[in-house]
Amino acid sequence: MRILVVEDDLTLAAQLVEGIQSVGYVVDVAHNGVDGHFMGETEPYDAIVLDIGLPQMDGITVLKKWRAAGRTLPVLILTARDTWREKVAGIDAGADDYLTKPFHMEELLARLRALIRRAGGHASTELVCGPLTLDTRSSRASVDGTALTLTSHEYRVLAYLMHHPGEIVSRAELTEHIYAQDFDRDSNTVEVFIARLRKKLPPGLIETVRGLGYRLSKAQ
Amino acid sequence: MNLALFRNSLRIRLLVGTLFWIVISILVAGWGLGQLFHEHVEAQFDAELKNHLDQLTAQLILDEQNQAQVRLLPSDPRLNKPLSGLYWQIDRIAAAGEHPVKAVLRSRSLWDEKLTVPADAPADGEIHQHRIEGPQGVALRVVERTVTIDTHSLRLMVAANESLMTGPIADFKGHLWLALGILGMGLTLAASMQVFVGLAPLRSMQDALGRVRQGDARNMEGTFPNEIMPLVSEFNTVLAQNAAVVERARTQAGNLAHALKTPLSVLANAAHAPEKRDDDLARLVASQVDTVRKQVDYHLSRAQAAASVQIPGMRTAVEPVIRGLVRVMQRVHAERQIEFVLLPDPANLAFRGEEQDLQEMLGNLIDNASKWARSRIEIQVSDEPGKLRVRIDDDGKGIAETERDHVLKRGVRADEQVPGTGLGLAITADLARMYGGDLVLAKSSLGGLQASLILPAV
Repeated sequence: MRILVVEDDLTLAAQLVEGIQSVGYVVDVAHNGVDGHFMGETEPYDAIVLDIGLPQMDGITVLKKWRAAGRTLPVLILTARDTWREKVAGIDAGADDYLTKPFHMEELLARLRALIRRAGGHASTELVCGPLTLDTRSSRASVDGTALTLTSHEYRVLAYLMHHPGEIVSRAELTEHIYAQDFDRDSNTVEVFIARLRKKLPPGLIETVRGLGYRLSKAQ
Repeated sequence: MNLALFRNSLRIRLLVGTLFWIVISILVAGWGLGQLFHEHVEAQFDAELKNHLDQLTAQLILDEQNQAQVRLLPSDPRLNKPLSGLYWQIDRIAAAGEHPVKAVLRSRSLWDEKLTVPADAPADGEIHQHRIEGPQGVALRVVERTVTIDTHSLRLMVAANESLMTGPIADFKGHLWLALGILGMGLTLAASMQVFVGLAPLRSMQDALGRVRQGDARNMEGTFPNEIMPLVSEFNTVLAQNAAVVERARTQAGNLAHALKTPLSVLANAAHAPEKRDDDLARLVASQVDTVRKQVDYHLSRAQAAASVQIPGMRTAVEPVIRGLVRVMQRVHAERQIEFVLLPDPANLAFRGEEQDLQEMLGNLIDNASKWARSRIEIQVSDEPGKLRVRIDDDGKGIAETERDHVLKRGVRADEQVPGTGLGLAITADLARMYGGDLVLAKSSLGGLQASLILPAV
């Protein structure tokens, strides 16, 4: 899962990145509205944390532009002013949830998880696919109740596949969702992660669809 | 006249002032004109009498027996008609060896009456005037002179009924006062109309101001005469400045919040970091940050509200605000599938106050209901005399009767497990009271809490 954080306060932005990374997501940061808007429009994020009070272009305008351009990904807005006027304006501009500063990181993470889950049409915080269970709150995966030991990259690949069970996910798509923007990407490494995951998972769970990508089998 | 009424009504002041001068000038004009006419008529009357006297003097001779004779009698026919009101008479005044004789000659109009004038002795040629009582007790105006021929002194007098003079004067004065009375009424009517027409713009100014106070207008609208237009535009400037000051206060409060809250977020996050979980300092920072946040929220909301309560001319439609807030709740609580029922408000009621304040009050209440509701929230706006009531019902677990007063105190949360500042209900109650309204908590027929917000309506 790849998240964009748009926050102009450098310290808070760093804390957000650290907090969000700690639950296994990949994070990109923008420090002003113009950069944030560009990144949100061009990169395939799974959710965005957007501060309302941004330099160069305010958060509400950025959000409206994304929605006008047809971007439907979940957006969580951060407001400092704590007025209902701002919350109504944010929701009407297309936000999916709001959080008032100062907030607890746990609450932000919980809201973010809920938004990603909702966007994927999942009702529970636990994603289940056959014998495989992914607890999005604790960022742990288990097979038939036995916890798996995964590296963060392996977890990200598995989590992305579990958010889209039964769908064909291309290597390029996986790459975009498990690496941050400034990371030196190599789609071949995805194959390495898939191979490692297959060793840890029951056989046949991750199918290769020739020429297209991978699919998490729902059958078992 | 009621002094307070006089002091308080510009119209009565102007009317009384004008009427005073109308009455004074009519009285002065009436008296002056009457006096002028009186003098004129009197002078003419006297001139006529003297004329007769001169004629009589010119025709007076003494015959051989030294008896006075009038050669040619004055021609005025009234002198021949008995008791006509115009008379003449010649007396002989006592002189050497002679007895005074009254009325040695007299006009035929005197018939057998005699005129008696005070026995003075005017010098030769001097004319005296007297008022005497004549035939039938009628007041007469007399002119007399003494004529001395040789040693014989004669007193010549011509008299006329005074009523011949006072009659026309009285007639004239009657007509004069009638005319002046009509003039006075005309002037009074004109003055009243002038006052009414002249003060009409004040009435429309009052109406315009009333519309501002009612919240139907933000400015005093309309065109006014040059004399009061400056007042109106000054007033509009004050209104605009007032609104600008409040807007600035709001913005500054918002900026302060923004400036404070981002560092507070940083502090709170640092204190909540997993590796600091058992650190006493981190716990202290976390709890103090929480306190600071509550204080900032509470006092900012109060400061903003206190500023806006003072602006006249505010009007906010209630339903659109509720709809906006319900959109927020439906989005934020999308998963819980709460049914928001907004019961129809046919009157389209409007709140007499700032939109942002209404948003704060209703936002806190609807947010609170959304946190606790199981599946359904009902919102109804209803009309009360001069007020409006927004009732918000939820089917949550409600608040026990003994707890209701308690939760309206600031910083108290009924349940620490549900996120929130614990200020929502207290801020709402404070805001409502600042606007002269109230917040009442009760048990809902849906099973949960019923919050009734009572606010001034437009």
